Amino acid sequence: MLSFILIFIAAVFFTGIIVRTKSMASGRKGPGILQPIKDVIRLFRKGAVYSQTTSFIFQIAPTIYFSSVVMAMLVVPFGQYKGFISFSGDFIFFAYILALGKFFSILSAMDTGSSFEGMGASREALYSMLAEPAFFILMGSLALLTGHTSFQEIFSALHIGSYITYALAILATFVLLMIAMIENSRMPIDDPKTHLELTMIHEVMILDNSGFDLGLILTAGYLKFAIYGALIVNLFIGVFPYGYTIPLFFIIQFSVAITIGLIESFMARFRMGHNAQFIFALTSVSLLIFFGALLILGKFI
Amino acid sequence: MIEFGLTMNITLGISLLTMLAIVYVPIKYKANLAAFTIVINAILTSWLTFPALYGNIAEFSLYAGALMGNIPFRIDGLSAWFILIINFTTITGVIYGGGYLKAYTASHSKLNLHWILFILFQLSMIWVCILQHGLAFLIAWEVMSLSSMLLVIFDHQNPRTIKAGLNYLVQMHISVVFLTVGFIWVYAQTGSFGFDAFHTYFGNHSNIWLFLIFFTGFGFKAGFIPFHSWLPHAHPAAPSHISGVMSGVIVKLGIYGIIRIISFVKYDFLLLGEIVVSVAVLTGLYGILNAAIHRDFKKMLAYCTIENIGIIGIGIGIGMMGIGNGSPLLYYLGFGGALLHVLNHSLFKSLLFYSAGSVYQQTHTRDMEKLGGLIRYMPKTAAIFLIGAIAIGGMPPFNGFVSEFIIYSGLLEGMKSSSLSQLSLIILTFAGLSLIGGISILTFTKTFATIFLGNEREKLPHPPHEVESRMLWPQYIIIAAMLTVAFFPQFYLNAISNILSSMFASQQGFAPPDFMHYSGIAANISIYAAVFMGLIAISWSIRSYIVRRNTDAVQPSWGCGYTGNSLKMQYTGKSFSKPLGKILNFLLIEKKQYSELKQAEIFPAKRNYASSYHDFFEHFFINSFIRKLLYITNYFKFIQNGRIQSYVIYGIVFIIAIFVLTALNIIQ
Repeated sequence: MLSFILIFIAAVFFTGIIVRTKSMASGRKGPGILQPIKDVIRLFRKGAVYSQTTSFIFQIAPTIYFSSVVMAMLVVPFGQYKGFISFSGDFIFFAYILALGKFFSILSAMDTGSSFEGMGASREALYSMLAEPAFFILMGSLALLTGHTSFQEIFSALHIGSYITYALAILATFVLLMIAMIENSRMPIDDPKTHLELTMIHEVMILDNSGFDLGLILTAGYLKFAIYGALIVNLFIGVFPYGYTIPLFFIIQFSVAITIGLIESFMARFRMGHNAQFIFALTSVSLLIFFGALLILGKFI
Repeated sequence: MIEFGLTMNITLGISLLTMLAIVYVPIKYKANLAAFTIVINAILTSWLTFPALYGNIAEFSLYAGALMGNIPFRIDGLSAWFILIINFTTITGVIYGGGYLKAYTASHSKLNLHWILFILFQLSMIWVCILQHGLAFLIAWEVMSLSSMLLVIFDHQNPRTIKAGLNYLVQMHISVVFLTVGFIWVYAQTGSFGFDAFHTYFGNHSNIWLFLIFFTGFGFKAGFIPFHSWLPHAHPAAPSHISGVMSGVIVKLGIYGIIRIISFVKYDFLLLGEIVVSVAVLTGLYGILNAAIHRDFKKMLAYCTIENIGIIGIGIGIGMMGIGNGSPLLYYLGFGGALLHVLNHSLFKSLLFYSAGSVYQQTHTRDMEKLGGLIRYMPKTAAIFLIGAIAIGGMPPFNGFVSEFIIYSGLLEGMKSSSLSQLSLIILTFAGLSLIGGISILTFTKTFATIFLGNEREKLPHPPHEVESRMLWPQYIIIAAMLTVAFFPQFYLNAISNILSSMFASQQGFAPPDFMHYSGIAANISIYAAVFMGLIAISWSIRSYIVRRNTDAVQPSWGCGYTGNSLKMQYTGKSFSKPLGKILNFLLIEKKQYSELKQAEIFPAKRNYASSYHDFFEHFFINSFIRKLLYITNYFKFIQNGRIQSYVIYGIVFIIAIFVLTALNIIQ
């Protein structure tokens, strides 16, 4: 319950902070922190234009995408406090429910019959597919390390071990951050601010969405960022009481957002052809975490 | 048990009678008669299986002469599970097939043979699950293979169909060679063909080699790599209801065989389990990678079957590792996940094959690049295919997620083992399974989008329209069954835990409270899935309220400034999966046929470009082996020269040789 509200609050500011960081890094004043939310509210009130090629898939897809993200949000715990939904292996549910949302967003892009949107859909499918093993090896290693299999149990047991667990947590932060960038089609993979349809991934998929549907998709994107931010927070807050963890939650979310903003300001987008290698390299970082877990458990030798 | 024997005789009797009757009834009623027989057979045999699911094994034996000895007939939980799956799938198959084959009313004899074989096919599959005697099992197995082969080549005027049928026939017989060797080996060691002899054999001999022989033999049927290469040929060639039943059931009988053999194995579970898991992960990845790139949608479904066999294999393998580690929970999760996935896959794969068949019936093409926008003409088929696609991708509101979740839980449970090699294998399997899930999303978004969404890519000769209700109803029934698995998994998992607790009675008396815990989780997941549906319903109603208020405009898709004819410019399935094919071009072999422009060619003529993907194993191993074999056998061609005179000489030479050898006492 707590995590749900916190993620929601974080989502309100998250994208605004990224945009603000980017504009400050490039020497501009930039829009207010709440501008993305204002955009969404405006979109919710606007009328929509639909393509004559599309079918009902295009109509339901944004709703399902949004619902899947909300559902995934319900699974995320807050330190030792469970999310709405918590059971052994809930991170599998988390990954698969997000996959369902992605399934429909890809279909809705293909539904328009536009070659550009198909291109984006193809890339989205490929890159999110390649990111999947990284997440599963990461969670599998943490499960191995802690001996538990649900988000909440894993995160609250993560701190009982030695300080090396924090080294693993930092590696895990890297992996989760990169997965968040891939899932939200951010900089090293995709440039949300590009103006050329040929080089877009996520933006080109939603070219034909407008009005309420576009608002849902954007909101889902903000929530997704905050969800991955919350997972990163969970790596560190452990079993501390509320008084520390809630400020810590916002501090970490804030720094994650600023990091993403800085990455976007100072890095160029990879060539499309190199993305796949980069994403798959993430899996090897996850494998490092696995070996770290084995070391801590003394399984080597 | 008297009723057991009686039922077997009744089913056989009814079937023989209707096989005769089919020949004589008017063409309109042939399919109905076959459907009637199959339903009767299904009811009778299913009736026998229900007690077995609760642990009451039905058995009797029949004395069949000096050669065969006593043939034990036996229905235990495992047989019962598979018989129920067979019955369900054949019923939906025969009803759907009746509609599917309506276009072929002209060919009387073809339909006679088809429906007769279909009944025989169902019976033989049930026999395979019941017979517990090596030779009798092989006979039933052979009847099953032959009848299915003849069903595959329904369209026998087409040489490619014949080729696919022959390919299937040959591979099935290589499989039978392995099985025969296995049974004879046991016979030589123990003096009995009955399955009980396996207990004696595995108790006293090394377990590894015999298991591997049977794993290879049954692996051909199941489609484990590298024995999978018949599937992508046979499934596209067969009529869709046959592909559905073959992929849903026949392939699973390979799995049945493997589990049956495992139930006799006594030692070396750990090693064998690791072998099975490794083969299975590779099978899954290989299957789904190939499924992602092919443009023939039935071939894609065939490769997808290979993928799912991999997932089932992972379950079986970790179950074996569970026995090896002495962890009952792992045993239950592994085999439980595998058995549930057998059921799930038979449901959604037959569903996908039937709906793909509906598309084929209306458009007469299996090439998805020629289709597009079918959702406007065939909305029901599109919705059915979409449901099948979500389910097979293992995504939550449907049944695929339940069994994959059980297998994932098994892998997580397996991480409690202590050895490094097992841990590494398990984490790689874990990642592999997630990668399989990811690629299957790519595969099915591609297939569904290319066939059903967007605009028509080519003008079809006949405008497609929705198929008749006779073809739709079986698919609705399958969806209903899928929903029961998705929303009441505890019912199925209870049945499975009964099967599993009796399967290894001799091994150890497992108590499954932890497994029930997971069954409870699966039940909870169904509640969460319902919550999710509720969430969608709420957001949808808010959305439709607001969207209705705001005036919609309907315009062409955003063309990025290009206003010309963009129908041909749509993204194709090929281009959708091309990046994946490019990354893995060492495994997904693409052959291109085209001619380059020559230097002095000022006015180039019209030219063609064709590209196709080849199966890695078939291309590099099987075909090159066959080429070498042909090269060698070419030298012996003079023996078969087609002249009767020389054949007579061979006969005389043979007789003389026999005479000389016996006269010299070399053979007796």
